[in-house]
Amino acid sequence: MRTSLTSRLRAAARPRTAALTAAAVASMTLAACGGGSGSSGEAGTLRFGLSAEPVTLTTGVWQGSATNFVLTLIHRGLMTLDEDGELVPGLAASVDTPDPTTYVFTLHEGLTFSDGSPLTATNVKNSLEYYANPDNGSTLIAGLQDIASITADSDTQVTVTLEAPNNAFLEFLAVPTAAIVPDASLNADTPNIVGAGPFEIEEQNEGVGMTLAKFDGFYDADDVALDEIDVAYYPDGDARANALVSGDVDMIDYVTWENFDRVGDTDGVELAAQPGPFQYVQFNVTDGPFADPLVREAVAYAINRDNALTAAFQSNGQPLEGVVTSNDPALEGLGDELWTYDPDRAKELLAEAGYPDGFSATLLATSQYTFLQDTALSVQQDLQAVGIDVTLDAPDWSGRLEKGAAGDYDLAVSGDVGIVTNPIYLLSFVQGPDNFNRSFGYANEEIAASLTDGLRATDDETRAAAYEEAFDLFATDVPFASIDTRDQAWAYSDDVEGFSNLPGFHTFFSGYTLANTSIER
Amino acid sequence: MTTYVLRRIGVGVGLVLLVLTLIFLALHLVPGDPAMLLLSQGDGGSATPDAVARVREQLGLDQPLLTQYWQFLSGALTGDLGESFRNGQAVSEAIGERLPRTLELVGLATLIAVVVGVPWGALAARKGGWFDSVTSVLTSIGVALPVFVFGSLLVLLFSLELGLLPAGGFTEWGDDPGRHAQLLIMPAIALAVGFASTIARMTRSAVLEMLHQDWVRTARSLGLSRRTVFRKYVLRNSLNPVVTTVGIGVGTLLGSTVLVEKVFSYPGLSSLLVDAVTARDYPVVQGVVITIAVLFVSINIIVDVLYGVLDPRVRR
Repeated sequence: MRTSLTSRLRAAARPRTAALTAAAVASMTLAACGGGSGSSGEAGTLRFGLSAEPVTLTTGVWQGSATNFVLTLIHRGLMTLDEDGELVPGLAASVDTPDPTTYVFTLHEGLTFSDGSPLTATNVKNSLEYYANPDNGSTLIAGLQDIASITADSDTQVTVTLEAPNNAFLEFLAVPTAAIVPDASLNADTPNIVGAGPFEIEEQNEGVGMTLAKFDGFYDADDVALDEIDVAYYPDGDARANALVSGDVDMIDYVTWENFDRVGDTDGVELAAQPGPFQYVQFNVTDGPFADPLVREAVAYAINRDNALTAAFQSNGQPLEGVVTSNDPALEGLGDELWTYDPDRAKELLAEAGYPDGFSATLLATSQYTFLQDTALSVQQDLQAVGIDVTLDAPDWSGRLEKGAAGDYDLAVSGDVGIVTNPIYLLSFVQGPDNFNRSFGYANEEIAASLTDGLRATDDETRAAAYEEAFDLFATDVPFASIDTRDQAWAYSDDVEGFSNLPGFHTFFSGYTLANTSIER
Repeated sequence: MTTYVLRRIGVGVGLVLLVLTLIFLALHLVPGDPAMLLLSQGDGGSATPDAVARVREQLGLDQPLLTQYWQFLSGALTGDLGESFRNGQAVSEAIGERLPRTLELVGLATLIAVVVGVPWGALAARKGGWFDSVTSVLTSIGVALPVFVFGSLLVLLFSLELGLLPAGGFTEWGDDPGRHAQLLIMPAIALAVGFASTIARMTRSAVLEMLHQDWVRTARSLGLSRRTVFRKYVLRNSLNPVVTTVGIGVGTLLGSTVLVEKVFSYPGLSSLLVDAVTARDYPVVQGVVITIAVLFVSINIIVDVLYGVLDPRVRR
């Protein structure tokens, strides 16, 4: 009987064993066919895992970091950034500034766009005029609004005259959306894919990736070491990190904070992190308690920034007790300590404002970005501790945008970055139409005037004095209450050389340095 | 039989029209402005109200809702599903690219699930004892184990530890068949585990129920061997509920492979749908939902027809 049972079991097991063996063999065969985990890639080809699929590129419009990444590869402006994030000429071989309102750009000789057409001073004039026109939706308006005239002096020389000095003007010209493009791209309908950058788009496969090939017409083509960049889209943070760790790709952007340690501890992988965007609490100041600057100041003192940083970013970042001035030597020590964590001071301010027993409020966040939700939870606890009973409202990102733009909140948690590091980026928080990421109904012309004075200053002393005045006003009027800056990381294999994660807000423009990146397999 | 099939098709068409209307209304009722989203991607800068209004106009979102509905309906009926708000790609083209990938994934997962699940469940029912108990435990785990957990475990083992398979991504068959197959195998297995467990459990209970029927005993008493009775009569008669499970399961998988697609960065139809919902890309959401609805209804019609083939009493 036992023999019979055993033989029947064996018989039953045989097909399964065979099936398992077949599956294992098939798996090994597949692995062998494809060269194991990741195909090792060809020499001169960088395999890049990008965190999002870029939308259709629209000329002059800010469309997010994935799109900016592509712009840094296929386009160049008159100015660009070097591996230290310093401003250097791009398409312009040189820039002369005979006086604070005149800029003479001399272009490199023989520039062409990737479609083969010549890039001339007229293209420069037309592109800049397009970006300076508010009707075209460009985010460069703050930098280019002072342009009085643009003259194409010759095929390779352009003179731009400003109505007043603007010490951020050149930095605005290095923003990826300030690229010089063919006249045919100067509209909202033509995809902005023809440029004069180090690479050109060879193939696009929606939902999968894109291939970029070296553009030989680039002004610095001799120094471009990569023949090709093979971009694959990995929207999920874990999947992106897995792709790098397993060797499927050579490089990824936007390492999520929970993956910092895992990626950083992997042999043969470099994690490059830089403090980037900042998080803050914004207010609806149209009515209610937050219309009172004392209450806003109380919120700024109530926030435990270390806790928020730990909750949202596993401490990968820095607490922010003021405003980001991007380590500008001329502004050293200014604006960085406006509010400390001091719950007692917060309670005093609330009492002074007439709310000794606190009040109730809604805090808008979003369920779509965990770090914003975690930041909101931390802020909720802090405000609860000083007597403000906060109810969290966390719709998806689309709902968050709509509610933010409509002022449908009392408090909101946001993250943002200046498109330039010059403190003029703060102007949009105190002036102009309401939008989703600034305090609703807030305006302060005094701060705006000081910031503008800083922008107009032609020497460091005057500039520092103007910004100091602006930051003092910030401290008491509190257009927003800062929380922290988060580390923004790129990661890459040891085989990759020459890439640099640019510091501060420029981290999102680090794609510029791929022009000087190489890969040794 | 023809009347039966035509009746099923008529109900199916009605269902698709209903889904079409419901999805349009649902999308427009949910808060969120596609134009604002398009101009507010990530950090840095926010669009002015004027810029948002211009994009709304470009996308036709400034039109009255009824006009938009009519445009959508007439477009859908003529096969024009519009263009994606995000990348301008024709929705039918996007679906044409993504659907075969998802069908391939679901097809392979279903094949694995059926090939493993049906014999496994039947064997458990027939053998009973410890094999049945182990089957119950394993299939319970298989059903309960979230697909993203199992998928992540596969990645951990086969990609990160053993380095045998890529962690995720996609390559066209035409570009590199070997890598295409490599990239398909783990998502398919991850998707198949829960499905195979469900099929095994369904097969087991159906076979057990059938084994206790009087006619089984009668067949045995007439001299037919146990094996013959099992293979020719019991298993076949047990397959009706299994076919239903497979049919519904395949339909569900078509719209719910999203987790597996996320874990493995597999650009299928489900991730297209979820990304489109997040971005309020109305034409894409509508197009994908219509496609899934048509497929789901078609599969159910096929299942209904199969019932008729397997059991003529259903046709009455």
